[in-house]
Amino acid sequence: MSIHTPSRWRVAALAALMAGALPSLALSASTATDKDKLIELQKKLDQSIHMIDALAGRVRELEARQAAVAAAPPVAATPAAAPATAEPAAAAADQRISAVEQKVSQIETANATRHSDDSGLPLHGFADVGVGNRNPYFPTYKGFYIDNLDFYLTPHLGEHTRALFELNNEVGADGSVGIDLERAQIGYQFSDRATVWIGRFHTPYGFVNTAVHHGAWINDALRRPAFLQFEDHGGILPAHTVGLWLTGSEHAAAGRLQYDGYVGNSQLIEGGVVDMRNAGNAHGKLIVGGRLGYQFEGGSLDGLTAGVHAFSASRIEDDLPIPNATRVTAYGGYLTYDSDQWEHNAEVYFFDDEDLSGTTGSHHSNAEYVQFGYRVSWGVPYVRFERTDLDQTDEYFLQQISGGSYQRAALGTRFDLDSRSSIKLELAETHLTDRSRERFAEEQFQYAIRF
Amino acid sequence: MEPGWVCRIFRDWAVCCAGLLAVGGQPAAAAPQVPTAGGARLDQLPQQWRDDRGDRLPLASLVGHRVILTMAYATCHKFCPATISNLGRLQQALDARGEQVDFVIVGYDPDSDGPATWHRYRAHRHLNRSNWHFLTGTPDATAQLARQLGFEFWKYDDHVMHDVRVVVFDAHGVLANAIGSGTRDWSAVL
Repeated sequence: MSIHTPSRWRVAALAALMAGALPSLALSASTATDKDKLIELQKKLDQSIHMIDALAGRVRELEARQAAVAAAPPVAATPAAAPATAEPAAAAADQRISAVEQKVSQIETANATRHSDDSGLPLHGFADVGVGNRNPYFPTYKGFYIDNLDFYLTPHLGEHTRALFELNNEVGADGSVGIDLERAQIGYQFSDRATVWIGRFHTPYGFVNTAVHHGAWINDALRRPAFLQFEDHGGILPAHTVGLWLTGSEHAAAGRLQYDGYVGNSQLIEGGVVDMRNAGNAHGKLIVGGRLGYQFEGGSLDGLTAGVHAFSASRIEDDLPIPNATRVTAYGGYLTYDSDQWEHNAEVYFFDDEDLSGTTGSHHSNAEYVQFGYRVSWGVPYVRFERTDLDQTDEYFLQQISGGSYQRAALGTRFDLDSRSSIKLELAETHLTDRSRERFAEEQFQYAIRF
Repeated sequence: MEPGWVCRIFRDWAVCCAGLLAVGGQPAAAAPQVPTAGGARLDQLPQQWRDDRGDRLPLASLVGHRVILTMAYATCHKFCPATISNLGRLQQALDARGEQVDFVIVGYDPDSDGPATWHRYRAHRHLNRSNWHFLTGTPDATAQLARQLGFEFWKYDDHVMHDVRVVVFDAHGVLANAIGSGTRDWSAVL
């Protein structure tokens, strides 16, 4: 057997081993994070390249020795034959090494471009905890609190089918931890212009209700305006609707036209809180609404969005022994300015409600807030003013625990610790203006993360 | 409002800010090494991209100069503006050296941010140099490039959750360095 054969087979065997080892190395690191995997792959590749260099040196040494041995007997006759034989041998070795390097590169490419398993379900979410002289949502409590552990799931289902689930572990008014399927929507995306969702979604009115979801980290402010909180956190509007929602946007002129239309189960006031009737309602009445906005892009108005919204819930009852029923009609507008430097929001809501029980007639109320924020390198300081003037003879508000009128001024800031965690501070003064005349100051601290 | 409310608010506010400044002023721990995604090559990445004028731009065509690449989305006002601003400072440093480098910004959200959006974006921010490229690809190509280069991201409705990350390719198109959230001196990667 010539001296070439075992060396060639060793190189080929090593290349085959690396070809088999590299995928298994990748698999063995599959449970680590992506960053850990990349670091590990890089280390292994460096080791492989060192090994190739060492093998190449060994091949050249062996072939040079063989050339020297083959040329040795007729030493005087052909002294020039040794270099002439060594050159083609070295070139052949270089070719084999190049082939091995190319194979390693192909393996690396195949591994890097390997698609992740499409049947997997990435799990992401948010969590927040805090402390304050009052609980930010249930002001009768004081001290440390846990708020949300919010899981966000969007399984990849194909080119057009969409699904979104937001499963929230949250603390309720009684201090117990409950699990809420806050959003459960399955939809079909026809195009950028139109997606239809069915399920439980955030009712598309105003700005905050569809821009700031349950993950506290996403909100630059420590909390939503009180009247726009989720139903079980003191909000007075139907923040969730179970029904059908058409949404889309269209590029138009200097920006984008945004539109929403929805229909769903008319709500019920249960235990003093608006309930969105996940399983349907007893009377089959509906809430119908829509929103139209325009987002400027480019030019001097870049970042400005203006819109109007309205909804009418044809019959909202309460859970009294002799229930009241109200047709709730709300309409209003919103204005936001969102740029690299500023974050300003304002929303106004007008209520024209009709007592369907036939005793108190029509009622008119309003609620509004304005918030100004300034973006700096470390976060977002903000100031906010909120006000509601709710007719307390309107059963829709009277039967809600949080249906009283109030005013609030707040000064706060968000401080980004890194790209995944932030702390927020808020100092606020709240004045209840009809059910009681209580005033109280709040000092709030929140630690919010995303993962 | 109670008398003295304003004074009390600002007193409490000043105390909180002082505390934050004290915490923020502590020397930071050494920044962890930013993984470089293992020597990835420009010509191994997805190549089907369109720039903000709608023209095709294969990444492999940029080999020959160093390439500094990041990902962003147009309505991001949290970390993308700071990243782009820092890239602008790198451009100034490179101009001082007389070195030509290509800057590539790949969109995280091609469904929302197409070439027209990026065209408006760069015009609004005066990022009009010809060596700056704002690219849109398919969702699959975007996800693949992000995986290959270590850009972790996910969509939360209209928001894109992402970290700060910039990667640097050498003149041969080989990934040579990376910048992350913990990188203090971006110019050191040059």
